[in-house]
Amino acid sequence: MITFPGTAAAVVTRKILRLVGKGATTLPGKAAIRLSPSIIREKSRGKHIITITGTNGKTTTSHMISEMLNYLGYDIINNISGANLASGVATTLICGKDEMMRANGRSKGTIYVLETDEAAYAKIAGDLCPEVSVITNLFRDQLDRYGELTHTRDCIADGLNKTDAIAIVNSDDSLVASLGKGREDKTVFYGMGKKDMLRNNKLYPDRKSILPASPDAVYCPDCHIRYEYVSRSFGHLGDFKCPSCGFSSPISRFEVRYDLKQSPSNEDYPFAISDNLSGLTREMKLKIPGSHNLYNTCAAVSAVTVMLTKLGLSQEEAFEQATEAAGHVKAAFGRMEKIDVGGKKLCILLVKNPAGFDRSLSFVSEAEDAAGLMLLLNSNIADGKDVSWIWDVDLESKAEDLPENIFISGERWGDMLLRIEYAGMNVTESGDMSRAMEILNRALEMTPEGKCLYVMPNYTAMLSLRAALVHEYGLKEFWK
Amino acid sequence: MSDGYKLVIGHFYPDLLNLYGDRGNVLALYRRASLRGIDVSIRSISVADELDPSMIDIAFIGGGQDSEQNIMSDDLVRVKGPLIKDMIEDGKVFLCICGGYQMLGKYYKEHTGDIVECLGALDYYTEARSDRFINDTIYSLVLDDGSEVKVAGFENHSGRTYLGEGVKPFMKVLTGHGNNGEDGFEGAVYKNTFCSYSHGSLLPKNPAITDMLLSRAMKKRYGESFELAPLDSSTEDKARAAALEYIEKGKEKAP
Repeated sequence: MITFPGTAAAVVTRKILRLVGKGATTLPGKAAIRLSPSIIREKSRGKHIITITGTNGKTTTSHMISEMLNYLGYDIINNISGANLASGVATTLICGKDEMMRANGRSKGTIYVLETDEAAYAKIAGDLCPEVSVITNLFRDQLDRYGELTHTRDCIADGLNKTDAIAIVNSDDSLVASLGKGREDKTVFYGMGKKDMLRNNKLYPDRKSILPASPDAVYCPDCHIRYEYVSRSFGHLGDFKCPSCGFSSPISRFEVRYDLKQSPSNEDYPFAISDNLSGLTREMKLKIPGSHNLYNTCAAVSAVTVMLTKLGLSQEEAFEQATEAAGHVKAAFGRMEKIDVGGKKLCILLVKNPAGFDRSLSFVSEAEDAAGLMLLLNSNIADGKDVSWIWDVDLESKAEDLPENIFISGERWGDMLLRIEYAGMNVTESGDMSRAMEILNRALEMTPEGKCLYVMPNYTAMLSLRAALVHEYGLKEFWK
Repeated sequence: MSDGYKLVIGHFYPDLLNLYGDRGNVLALYRRASLRGIDVSIRSISVADELDPSMIDIAFIGGGQDSEQNIMSDDLVRVKGPLIKDMIEDGKVFLCICGGYQMLGKYYKEHTGDIVECLGALDYYTEARSDRFINDTIYSLVLDDGSEVKVAGFENHSGRTYLGEGVKPFMKVLTGHGNNGEDGFEGAVYKNTFCSYSHGSLLPKNPAITDMLLSRAMKKRYGESFELAPLDSSTEDKARAAALEYIEKGKEKAP
């Protein structure tokens, strides 16, 4: 029964938009919030909700949590297509049942898995009252739109303080690790195993660069002193400590045990996760490759373990089930999924900010099947108008490990062309967005059978590219 | 030939002032010098690091987030300040972008009316406003040989900078807002110190500026007779032309 005018508005808006072939992932919620401002609070009541926020890894982590809980017998409702503002969250709460991931067999219940934009989180967390809130990390991300990182951190702290959620927090990120201060009993930390991180740093050092990447948050905001790092994973993530106030990377409950002798950029990379509360360690295989996905997988295992415990399982059972389920995760469309195009593989890696660009380049430079790389850069409002962030990334030290065949498109193709050439690489072909599919097809032609063309668009470039791929290769619509 | 020639780029506070592609400016100087056979090195000078002016040929100071500028401003103004002033007066080459530009001036007036003392090396001041100028930009620049070029950039600042008698504007605004959105000028020049609000990054797409800075730095180190060898800039020109075309088709208007 429809009890709110907002709900009715959302349902009708969605039906109309779907009839004309639109995804309708945000407009219905927008209409609903306008008519019933308290709609998120009303619709959240009595529901099991997990939120995921942070600048990088939100979508992948949400996807992993959804797949894992679904595998374990829960019906899942989520906003996986990235509609992560208040309007998208409201749409999912109201209309999400239409597209529920149903459990195999008898359902154990319904869980909402909601990716939430960092700024939106401050506004809606209190209304959503999630039971579990994952905070992945904070890297610079379209600062012209979102403002300073410390401000974003404070927004998340505000939101978190309005809930009773168990916060699942990355202990290696100094900005988010401090969110645990004052709510220790409601915070669960996860991160790389500190001993393993140090060992890997010593055995497999990064290539030297002529100029390090522009780092975020390497000073203690309270003491204005540079953090000392015992070890690092990437960016500003690592085992940090302020020599003045002593604030340091907290000891994690969930830790990744890993050895970089093999590369996490290849499928089924072997690693393990330990739960230091139950004392269990489980061997695992990385189902979505990339070193950053060690963090995302650990975050997802942490969130699922905590959620299952809340639903009545013992710590041991919960962790066993979470790690087992993590072995059944598959990549989502357009997020590292390998699409078969005439015997060749095409893999889209959405790149929105320097940290994501850095990780994706690192991934491709280590991927054994990489035969080509295509970069697409736009500068529409949703991308951030400023393209200068491409210079914040250390491409210089990765250049010699990247594929030789590089292709460039997007409205700001000229900027990307120069960026690549300044890193000492040659570009095979480049041109504006009107030539994107022509260049992509040329890149596919040059890709040998069985090998993969990696494509890195930013947000609006990805939307155009997906639409073109759907049209040209008959791929499924992405909101499904 | 430039064999045997050396050049040192001093990168100020790279761990704090590193917004919006500031790093690209250092890369551009490095690339266009090393392609000419000059032995270039990049030296990082951050909080509490010693500054030896005799070791630096080109100084680069970028911009940071407010919280990061709070961490280093005292080190810049009070600790390294006197040496930086001497370097500027001595004719060392400086490129200062956005926050780095503002911090070399006389003061920064906050929204609250509070005055934040800056280095006072150059004759201008900045006032905060609530609305930000965030847009692509095109400027016109007159080079050392008298020719005029179009410069493509991007501005993102809420501060309005007003130049005094002691400095000259760096460029004229064709598209965008520039120093204050009122007088049509962008940036400031004093001796060999060049200041601008432009990100983009500024130098990669505008090799005429890169070469002007390199030429002045080399002349300062090796004497006025030093001539920078010619260098291909077809990729840079292609990238600038594409950016200018994109911007000129866009909505941004001159003030």
